[in-house]
Amino acid sequence: MYNTKNKMLEQELKDIWNNASQTAKISIETNQLVEELNNKVSRIQKKIRIRDIREMSASAIGILLFDYLLYEIPFPITKVACGLAIAWFVFVILKFKKSKTQNIKTDFSLSLTEQLNNQKTMMAQQANLLDTALYWYAIPPFIMNFIFILGLENPADYNWTNSIAAKILPLSSNLKIITLTGLALFYAFTFWVNKRALTKDVKPIIESIETMQQQIKK
Amino acid sequence: MYKEKDDNFFEEILERNKYKIYRICNIYAVNPIEPQDLFQEVIFQIWKSIDKFEGKSSVDTWVYKITINVCLRSKMKFAKSNDKTDRFESIHFTRIDKEINTSEQEKFNYLKECISTLNETDTSLIALYLDDLSYTEIGVITGLSENHIAVKMKRIRKKLFECITPKIKC
Repeated sequence: MYNTKNKMLEQELKDIWNNASQTAKISIETNQLVEELNNKVSRIQKKIRIRDIREMSASAIGILLFDYLLYEIPFPITKVACGLAIAWFVFVILKFKKSKTQNIKTDFSLSLTEQLNNQKTMMAQQANLLDTALYWYAIPPFIMNFIFILGLENPADYNWTNSIAAKILPLSSNLKIITLTGLALFYAFTFWVNKRALTKDVKPIIESIETMQQQIKK
Repeated sequence: MYKEKDDNFFEEILERNKYKIYRICNIYAVNPIEPQDLFQEVIFQIWKSIDKFEGKSSVDTWVYKITINVCLRSKMKFAKSNDKTDRFESIHFTRIDKEINTSEQEKFNYLKECISTLNETDTSLIALYLDDLSYTEIGVITGLSENHIAVKMKRIRKKLFECITPKIKC
């Protein structure tokens, strides 16, 4: 029963609540604030641009490098691996671009329930990208590297003389094994980093969103 | 629709809503995040979204939506990282020491303590309720039906009263 006593208490709580903010004075210099806000927006946009360039440039450098190797190296199997590597780098660029266009922008003016749904979808997309990293970010380049190294033959058989490439490429069996082991460890590490980001960063956020969704439904 | 950022409109929004925003930020801020950090993040998001304001709901309701969403998101981000937002030099917070009524302050601390026992979404409902918003307005902000809010508010009020009554009486 909602009685008068409770109503009085409720009004008292509302008064306490409303009077609380009177203990602090908030003064805002709007002109300066607008300038600071614009600066912050510019800083964020610059950071995003730099991140985009960084993501794309790694793949762009890869494409150029394997273009050169495709042209220069005479070994047929290695040439096939170079072609596959170029295709994979193009795929990675497209994947990043697609992920950016699919990204749902955070809209804080949505209602609380819509906002939670929105954020969950956004985080689920990120989780999916990290969760499948093994299949599109680690295994394909490892296979390509494997074919590339396996296809390296004796340069003399092809009358190929490129002292720089010959020095860089692992032409002996021992060097091939060492390089492949190093690459396997590197891709295993890449996979672990992605899984860790999924478990440590993304999953807890999804869980807290789901908890809030449950709370609000109850 | 406000196609361009109108500084006067922005200033009007801030002047009318700054204390409401601060009150909500104050209950959501948990160390190391301070109310001022959340307040500034809300101001930043209002500034970023002001072009998109279509006037479908009142400006105040729109501000509440942004405030609640920013505060709740800070709860999610908090688990992820402890990074603080930049402090704007143009916003000053000054304590008004001479007018502080210790008894009022104490009661507010009790209220805050009791609100902190509620979960995140119930906290937003009680904050909006204590700000004297109707169930219709709370419904627009949260996306819940009025009936749903009424049921939840009954339970939240009961929990809050049970917590605060013995403290206030002491």
